Amino acid sequence: MSLPAIASPTLPRGTLLNAALRSPSFLAGAAITALFLLVAVVSFVWTPYGYATQDIPNKLKGLSLAHWFGTDQYGRDVFSMILVGARTSIAVALIAVGVGIGIGVPLGLTAAARRGSLLDEVIMRLNDLVFAFPALLIAVLITAVFGPSATNAIIAIGIFNIPVFARLIRAAALSLWTRDFILAARVAGKGPARISVEHILPNILNTLVVQITIQFSLGILAEAALAYVGLGAQPPTPSWGKMLADSQTLISLAPHLALIPGLCIVFTVLGLNLMGDGLRDIFDPRLSRSRQ
Amino acid sequence: MTTYLAGRVASVLLSLIVASIAIFLIMEVLPGDPAQFILGMNAQPDTLAALRAQLGLDAPPLMRYFSWILGMLHGDFGTSYTYRVPVAELIVQRIGVSLPLAGLSLALTLIIAFPTGILAAARRNSKTDFAVSAITQFGVAVPNFWFAIILVYIFAVTLHWFSAGGFPGWDKGFWQGLRALILPSIALALPQASILARVMRSALLDTLEEDYIRTARARGLSRATTLWRHAVRNALIPVLTIVGLQFAFLLAGGIIIENVFFLPGLGRLVFQGITQRDLIVVKSVVMLLVFAVILVNFLVDLSYLVVDPRLRRRA
Amino acid sequence: MSLLEVKGLQLAIGDVKILRGIDLAVDAGQVLGIIGESGSGKSMSALSIMRLLPTGAHATGSIRLAGDELLQKSERDMCGVRGKDIGMVFQEPMTALDPLKTIGNQVAETIWVHGQASRREALAEADRVLERVGLPADLFPRDRFPHELSGGQRQRVVIASAIALRPKLLIADEPTTALDVTTQARIIELLNRLVNEDGMGMIFITHDLAVVAGLADQVAVMRYGEVFEAGPTGEVFRTLAHPYTRALFEASSHVPKRDPSLPGGPPVLTVENVVRDYRTPPKRLFGKPGAFRAVDGVSFRIERGENVGLVGESGSGKSTLARAVMALEAVQSGTITIDGQKLDPRDGASFATRRKLQVVFQDPYGSFDPRQRVDTLITEPFHLLGADAPHGAERQARIAKSLETVGLEASDAEKYIHEFSGGQRQRLAIARALIIEPSLIILDEAVSALDVSIRAQILDLLAELSDRLGLSYLFISHDLSVVRSITDRVLVMKSGKIVESGATEEVFRNPQHPYTQELLAATPHLERALAARS
Repeated sequence: MSLPAIASPTLPRGTLLNAALRSPSFLAGAAITALFLLVAVVSFVWTPYGYATQDIPNKLKGLSLAHWFGTDQYGRDVFSMILVGARTSIAVALIAVGVGIGIGVPLGLTAAARRGSLLDEVIMRLNDLVFAFPALLIAVLITAVFGPSATNAIIAIGIFNIPVFARLIRAAALSLWTRDFILAARVAGKGPARISVEHILPNILNTLVVQITIQFSLGILAEAALAYVGLGAQPPTPSWGKMLADSQTLISLAPHLALIPGLCIVFTVLGLNLMGDGLRDIFDPRLSRSRQ
Repeated sequence: MTTYLAGRVASVLLSLIVASIAIFLIMEVLPGDPAQFILGMNAQPDTLAALRAQLGLDAPPLMRYFSWILGMLHGDFGTSYTYRVPVAELIVQRIGVSLPLAGLSLALTLIIAFPTGILAAARRNSKTDFAVSAITQFGVAVPNFWFAIILVYIFAVTLHWFSAGGFPGWDKGFWQGLRALILPSIALALPQASILARVMRSALLDTLEEDYIRTARARGLSRATTLWRHAVRNALIPVLTIVGLQFAFLLAGGIIIENVFFLPGLGRLVFQGITQRDLIVVKSVVMLLVFAVILVNFLVDLSYLVVDPRLRRRA
Repeated sequence: MSLLEVKGLQLAIGDVKILRGIDLAVDAGQVLGIIGESGSGKSMSALSIMRLLPTGAHATGSIRLAGDELLQKSERDMCGVRGKDIGMVFQEPMTALDPLKTIGNQVAETIWVHGQASRREALAEADRVLERVGLPADLFPRDRFPHELSGGQRQRVVIASAIALRPKLLIADEPTTALDVTTQARIIELLNRLVNEDGMGMIFITHDLAVVAGLADQVAVMRYGEVFEAGPTGEVFRTLAHPYTRALFEASSHVPKRDPSLPGGPPVLTVENVVRDYRTPPKRLFGKPGAFRAVDGVSFRIERGENVGLVGESGSGKSTLARAVMALEAVQSGTITIDGQKLDPRDGASFATRRKLQVVFQDPYGSFDPRQRVDTLITEPFHLLGADAPHGAERQARIAKSLETVGLEASDAEKYIHEFSGGQRQRLAIARALIIEPSLIILDEAVSALDVSIRAQILDLLAELSDRLGLSYLFISHDLSVVRSITDRVLVMKSGKIVESGATEEVFRNPQHPYTQELLAATPHLERALAARS
């Protein structure tokens, strides 16, 4: 994608909040995301039934007042499973993003600060290398040796997130390094590390935040895919992807088992993407494209 | 231009080497004793010894690495422990499903995404643009395997237009084989096309802001002509990069889709390998897939030479 | 009847009024110069005539080209007018051409898009047009791409595509502002020739009065979306009826008052035989990397309290030299001594050395971190004071003093940079440079991006500071008239070498080196142009 617009806040701080409140994408997205987070938090304190509680006589029931989302083939309450499954999705996606930022951002900043040097070359080559391994393949490699688990899913997705952030941060930082205010900082005797932290990072936060929402949503999709093929969180921990895997053979008998977890994934990802789009529009100083 | 090409080729070779080293380290060095790993805890000592000898595990790691690489260059991918046949044979069989699937999905993605993205950018802020934005927002959020399940439910289980899975084999007829790949390709293509359409739109909108667009309009070109003659080709450059990246996701997605539709491709092969602890199979298939991704990205780099004259510098 | 008659043109974009009812007239074979500072609406007037306005723009009034009302035409009809009856040339030649299409292709486009010829015939015609604008086929094959041409050459291609069908009117919106002085002179000469050969009318938009004085038959002075004054050039500039015109005129020829005496003492900067090479990638696959010599054995001195100008066009090496003096780049050989302290080619400069030297940059919008407050911004050089940096009350006091010295207020310390205009930002840049009381300030094109009236104020400020505080300046610029007004000595740089140096007035009155002579001849001079007119 073309270089992200580095936002210089030509709007005073107060209006950033105003712009946020006026952006329909942001509001809708933030609302959905908040709901999703709320659901996951609530699941620690309350679920209608235990997520693993079986109730065979009531198996494969559709939506009802007793079971809001119906029951699965073991009579387990689907709503409870969804609530707890939200936890898995968030945990995996969030920690994987953390790994990506924690390692990717410093790598990107360093590569930009030492542009053209050997270090920069090495970092970029490593990036390209990891890009050749989609998260799924990394997961395959790791789980083949260490066995499937949520932790390994986090590692696989996290490793793939690193070059995403490194590349983005490097590109954003590079476009700032040529600006005069960076030259002024160098004339003031500040070294590259100090400049990266004091001047570069605060000015690319906008781009970073938008990418975080994107990678978070991609992480949820990736976790679902890994869980679907059995490489993610293992039973009895519920996971939306695993629920979909189980639902496949039963689809004629109980379509709600396939529809509901899928729709939950769709809406969560949609919410995050809308929020990211909204943020991007808010931060973009070119608020109206002027030319025909 | 030759320097650019040489640089790219060197980059590809380096990536392949480092990738193969990474895979080798994870698959052969990390498990400790691969033979023990494959046979499990209760293996008999003499079976272990036999397998070790067969796998050549007595040699030092560096030698094993080189013989693996050399073997692959000769088309020898080792022998599968579970199936007792050369892995190369298994790969050739399975590739007959995975490759057409990937190709068909990529073609569908491009056919859907490009016109959609261009149309949305050309009719910016109109109802068409809005509709495209809304549809692609959903498309991006849909997990491809879930979409596949839904497609199966509607088109196979309910309407009986397609079978719910399985692959009859190419020897049963070209159209029969293709028919089995249609639903899987659509499931793969739609989310990818959504992403690509959005990228195309965004890249085109950025390009339309450039000064040379204004110069073209000043010459008397209409908006539509300017779009086609100047904007689209310039917008292709960032879009091509994304297509290259997408191919990796396409391969990964293909692996999962094969599971939904019970297609006998590389994906199912690698998962069976994992469950059966057949490291030899897993190692080879992963290496092959990584090679495919690196190759496609190299082709994308080559395509830049065609599209962008600034890379074909004259002396 | 005039070729182009604009009457009562009003333009609004949304709620914002851009043009408040302007009248303009251009005759065939004549040049109308539109003068204005930024925000005057001059570019928007041009875009209104072409009807290439942004979405949401609404224009009313009358624009008649040879009696034909342009504001009533459909978009389709306007497409027929653009390129055929009116041609337009824009400001930035580096980005004005499609990088993926050949130059021949882009010029031919104008011809075949209006159905004047088949594609093949259009390419042949494009050949002839490119020849007309000074790009003959043997030196510039038609299959060249824009990135293979320099800025001036690209502008010629744009001009070629604009005049290919011999339009009645050519609009040139700051076509030479982004070009070197010598290139500018050649492009203006080309445009003049084309106007005479084709008998077309031309509107030339610029902020540079000297250019207009030499080129335009009629002039219109614009500000805030209105035409303040219009008429024949000689008359307008002689009578200077409107106060704004008078102010512009005075600002253009403004020379700040300066005290030529020097306080004496050891030189503030000594540069001896400095050489700076850049490595270039190898031409062949396994060839050796080449070297490009950006600075080739340069030597000069700046005495205490002296202002020295460094002039050169793009590619002369002046920016590289400046960065070497700022200790931002290592030099391959030679020495640089700042106020008695030598710069180490490898380690750069110690904090003690750097304290003697500060910089003011060109771009008022890019010189400050948009996220920081003014007090943080202007105290950035305190980093060089290390442990001795002032805190608390002393720091506040120094900030206030610095701000007041440059004509701003102490309360401005709490604002953010986006609250200030371009001229105010340059004042802040000067405040930042002054705050640690350096001996030498490097001004790298520091007034080039400012409007003429603001420029005069900043030059006054700089002159006053130099006299009062005994500061020395290294004033780098491509603009000779600015350099003349504020420096004691001048160095002329070309291709990495200093080709001439001496007292400013001497060099300007009596240039010795042919390059200096060429530069001076190419620089538009307001008084000279007006004298030639009468």
